[in-house]
Amino acid sequence: MQPVASNSVHLPALRAENVSKAFASGQLRTQVLDGLSLSVDAGELTLISGPSGCGKSTLLAVLSGLQKVDGGRVHALGSELSRLSAGALERFRLEHTGFVFQGFNLFPALNALEQVELPLDYMGVAEADARRRARASLAEVGLESRMHLRPAELSGGEKQRVAIARALAKQPQLLFADEPTSALDAANGQIIIDILHSIARTHGTTVLCVSHDPRLIHHADRVVAMEDGRILSDRRPDAQPIPAKAPAP
Amino acid sequence: MVALARKTLVYEWRRFLPAMLAVGFAGLLQLLQVALVLGIFGSTSLYITGSSADVWVGYPGTQSVGQGRSIDADVASRVLMDPAVERVESYLWVDGDWRGPRETGGVSVFVSGIDPRADGMLFARVLPPSLRARLAEPDAVVVDRSEIDQLGVALGEYATINGQRVRIVGISSGLRALGGINVLCSLETARALDNVDDEGPTYIVAKLRDPNQADAVATRLRGASSFGPYTTWSARDFAQRSVRYWLFDTGAGAGVLFLAAIVFLVGAVITSQTLIAAVNGSVREYATLNALGVGVTALRHVVLEQAIWVGALGLVGAGVLGAVLMALARSQDVPVVLSVPAALACFVLVLGLAAVSGLAAMRAMRRIDPATLLR
Repeated sequence: MQPVASNSVHLPALRAENVSKAFASGQLRTQVLDGLSLSVDAGELTLISGPSGCGKSTLLAVLSGLQKVDGGRVHALGSELSRLSAGALERFRLEHTGFVFQGFNLFPALNALEQVELPLDYMGVAEADARRRARASLAEVGLESRMHLRPAELSGGEKQRVAIARALAKQPQLLFADEPTSALDAANGQIIIDILHSIARTHGTTVLCVSHDPRLIHHADRVVAMEDGRILSDRRPDAQPIPAKAPAP
Repeated sequence: MVALARKTLVYEWRRFLPAMLAVGFAGLLQLLQVALVLGIFGSTSLYITGSSADVWVGYPGTQSVGQGRSIDADVASRVLMDPAVERVESYLWVDGDWRGPRETGGVSVFVSGIDPRADGMLFARVLPPSLRARLAEPDAVVVDRSEIDQLGVALGEYATINGQRVRIVGISSGLRALGGINVLCSLETARALDNVDDEGPTYIVAKLRDPNQADAVATRLRGASSFGPYTTWSARDFAQRSVRYWLFDTGAGAGVLFLAAIVFLVGAVITSQTLIAAVNGSVREYATLNALGVGVTALRHVVLEQAIWVGALGLVGAGVLGAVLMALARSQDVPVVLSVPAALACFVLVLGLAAVSGLAAMRAMRRIDPATLLR
């Protein structure tokens, strides 16, 4: 295995510098992220774990450009997300990111192939090309024989695989997954995490997965544990622990 | 391109059905209302549109056909002097009190005294020549088949108008008009029924050698007063004048417009609520697409497209049902008329309704925020 990423010369795919984020609910202000710094490298599956409300989903939201930070900076693929306008952020997400959510969020009227093709259409991919890429992605998640079925005819695990294929067909450099296995049984959860892992390996994609599911820990390249908006530990299950890293100058 | 809007509409048709029904019924209501209004108010100019005369001469200021006053019979000679005029004919309008052989009480009727010759201009388009010829018999009258019950009379029977005996020699169709029951007879019979002695005709109508000259001839003949007060209109002007009077001066037109606005409003409310519910039902899927970078504008187009489809499908339903109901109405002598511009106006109004509903539903898309998909 490669030495730890902090020793190599290339920039990390995702970098949070001293980010903070708070939510106000009436008079109550909750600090969800508190001066957090983190770098995430390409080509591996990074798992962010922690109890409910520790801020892990918010971290995913700010790293993926779905939400803005209150303080600090977020760099993704060399762009500083906090400086981009809403339209530019949308374009950034269209070109570079894929998402997988806990709910599969598939359109009931579309079959698996159409679900995957749809975002490609909006990216401006030519129809034949979109069709080819959608087929390839569905094949990659093991659904080549079920691509003409609608969500109502698919199991929960299969639906999540369609959702992954939908994200994957965009050929994103960044793939974000939020609790992708929470709604699934052990066997299907296993399949999903294996697919995410293999996407990181074979496509060199930066896969950032947020989950409180302890079954996933052994499948991740790196596990970042969070609590109360801070990083508690940062380790590689099959390697030595990574020392806490200072933000780049 | 995956046809998200259309596929969702087909797959979840039950969800969109209320909107399609709302649009369909709104369209149907507008269509039938317009057809009825055109039919009923159009019938107020039946006397003009059903006749082949090109120019009408009547008392100045007459607002609708039924309100004419008598003019000097010598005006006919003045009109005939114009080289463009081929021939003239008199028209005597008599308000009558009808008593039928059965218990109907007194019924108000409009008696039209016309020339029963085969080439007579008045009612030439609605009165069959055989019936017209029978009007030459003394005291003969023709009535509309839809009004036989009201008049309490049958073919061949006798009745009285203004106390004078008349005989029903024919039953016609297409004589039904707003405001009163039409009874046709010859000029001689009408004069006998008229209680005023030695009165001139209510109108004098003229046939021109070139019907296209109607406006010019009407203008040319106007303004002279050597034969007492009279004025002239082209047939088209006078017909429009009569319809306008009924539509606007009686308040009926305002009622029609008010009803059209209500139908539009109710249709738009139901349709937009249905579309909003459809948007809310798919808000997580839309948010996922937005997370993947698909712009909200593009997603709004999906909703607008659905609205237009709903409008189009509703219109097809309204068109089919409308045609059936119109045919039914015609078979029952209900006056319905639908012109192409009126049908187009309904079409535009209903598609507008659907588009407005779509725009309202698009506002519901402001709730799309992909961050809400994160736990």
